[in-house]
Amino acid sequence: MARSGVRLPARLARIAAALLLTCAAPAAAQVDFSGQWAPVYHEDNPERIPGPELADYTGLPLNDAARLQADSWDADRISVVSPYQCRPHSSDYGMRGLGNLRVWAELDANQQLQAFHTYMPAWGSERTIWMDGRPHPPDYAEYTFQGFSTGVWEGNMLTITTTHLKTNYYRRNGVPSSDRRTVVEHWTRHAEFLTVITVVTDPVFLTEPLVRSQNWFYDVGQALPAFNCEYASELPGAQKVPNHLPGTNPYLSEFADWYGLELAATRGGAETMYPEYRLKMGAPHSKPPDRCQRYCTCSGGFNCDVNPRR
Amino acid sequence: MKTRTRSLVAAVWLAALATLQAQGPPGPPGPPRAPRAAAPVDFTGYWVSVIAEDWRWRMVTPLKGDAASIPITPEARKVVDSWDPAKDEAAGVQCKAYGAAGLMRLPGRVHMTWLDDTTLKLETDSGTQTRLLHFGGTPPAKEVPSWQGYSVAQWERPPQTPGAPPTLPIFATRIGTRGRALEVTTTHLRPGYLRKNGVPYGDKVSLSEYFDYFKEPNGDEWFTVTTIVRDPQYLNGPFITSSDFKKEPDGSKWRPTPCTPR
Repeated sequence: MARSGVRLPARLARIAAALLLTCAAPAAAQVDFSGQWAPVYHEDNPERIPGPELADYTGLPLNDAARLQADSWDADRISVVSPYQCRPHSSDYGMRGLGNLRVWAELDANQQLQAFHTYMPAWGSERTIWMDGRPHPPDYAEYTFQGFSTGVWEGNMLTITTTHLKTNYYRRNGVPSSDRRTVVEHWTRHAEFLTVITVVTDPVFLTEPLVRSQNWFYDVGQALPAFNCEYASELPGAQKVPNHLPGTNPYLSEFADWYGLELAATRGGAETMYPEYRLKMGAPHSKPPDRCQRYCTCSGGFNCDVNPRR
Repeated sequence: MKTRTRSLVAAVWLAALATLQAQGPPGPPGPPRAPRAAAPVDFTGYWVSVIAEDWRWRMVTPLKGDAASIPITPEARKVVDSWDPAKDEAAGVQCKAYGAAGLMRLPGRVHMTWLDDTTLKLETDSGTQTRLLHFGGTPPAKEVPSWQGYSVAQWERPPQTPGAPPTLPIFATRIGTRGRALEVTTTHLRPGYLRKNGVPYGDKVSLSEYFDYFKEPNGDEWFTVTTIVRDPQYLNGPFITSSDFKKEPDGSKWRPTPCTPR
């Protein structure tokens, strides 16, 4: 073997060739997302940290079935139905909740990327995103809150497809998501920022895909704890699951009243999510307050004051 | 043992040399491709903002005093609490909410075209605004502050520590070799609003944006723009949002409207 006039002994040539194969192989990963990521709550902060208002369905392309189920929801349900007490956010909603995130890569003996793993302390949610080209399991395989995820590279963007998700929610005020949904995520890293775009297709509860995006910043000092959740009977002897039968929920207009919104708009639906809806939007449900009276100051993690002006 | 070590070092060195040679001789440099021709992604066309986030702060003008989600300073809080749209209108500054730092959060449509080989034009029907994204160069020395400021654009380079020296491609190859994002930095902005209800940004504001394109299995094309606003006067830290736009087949829903103060 000769190159540039240099003659190599056979053994050296073999070592060099092996190194070349190792070093010059195309990078299996385009971007390494490993590390500690702190969530940014600069969008929908009152919904994502203290929690959403009852009957706030704005920005969701819901169908009538989703509204019917959401309208029946009563927060007391969590006190009575023990499986709800420690029910995790699913991997799609988890991106909008308490989203402190650690990512680490799993490599094989040849240093090729096999999977990314993620951990969020909220409900101790751990997830695997397979990068080794394996197929999704058959429909009868187990359904979990994190689902089954596979990823591919599109340039520097990591595109993840998740199936086998248990039923959960699009907003934690009772807006349901079904186990028929498929979630596609696009992860991009720019400087010290991570953006995750989440696209949910749900033939049971959505009329068109729900597209939302969340942001994190790289935080080497972040340390994530374990999560402990204990079931406790808060209403011993309760004989029924708290609920509102159709047409009986008295709280459905509160949200519109507090923020001076048209009631129909707060019911969600794809039509309400496009700019032209503003042209047909009706008057507020009731005379709007002169100024903001609820959650006017939420900007960081927990500095929300429900009624700062009272 | 020494011979073995020397052999190994030699092999490593030769591998590095071969790898460098494999990249080809430097040769005479060809003319760099113009940004338009080098575009890894086509952002041209009509796009609509789909409001799945911050709905009640975007689709309607929020109530006075509502600065939720934005990391404002106490000084900004005073401005928020004294917002008076009539006063803005009388002063002829009804476009304060349509400046570059807030524009992409407004509901509306975006039309992107190439003005020339190095300038991408971004128009919005909401407020009838035009942004020019200049590839290469720096803002002119005497650039006058405006609602849209001066934007410098580039096709994002692979993630790498700024200023890091080039390294030998041995034992580590550069990752992130196929960036597809459009990176835009905007300065020289006239003070304006991050929201229509008067959440302010000042004249020291700067704006970083990253446009990412993606296509869904159903054929829908989207871009998401991650926006980072830095303002030492009115923000406690970077204000970070990401706004999602879906491509439309044509401009049939394009409706230019003037700025409104409320």
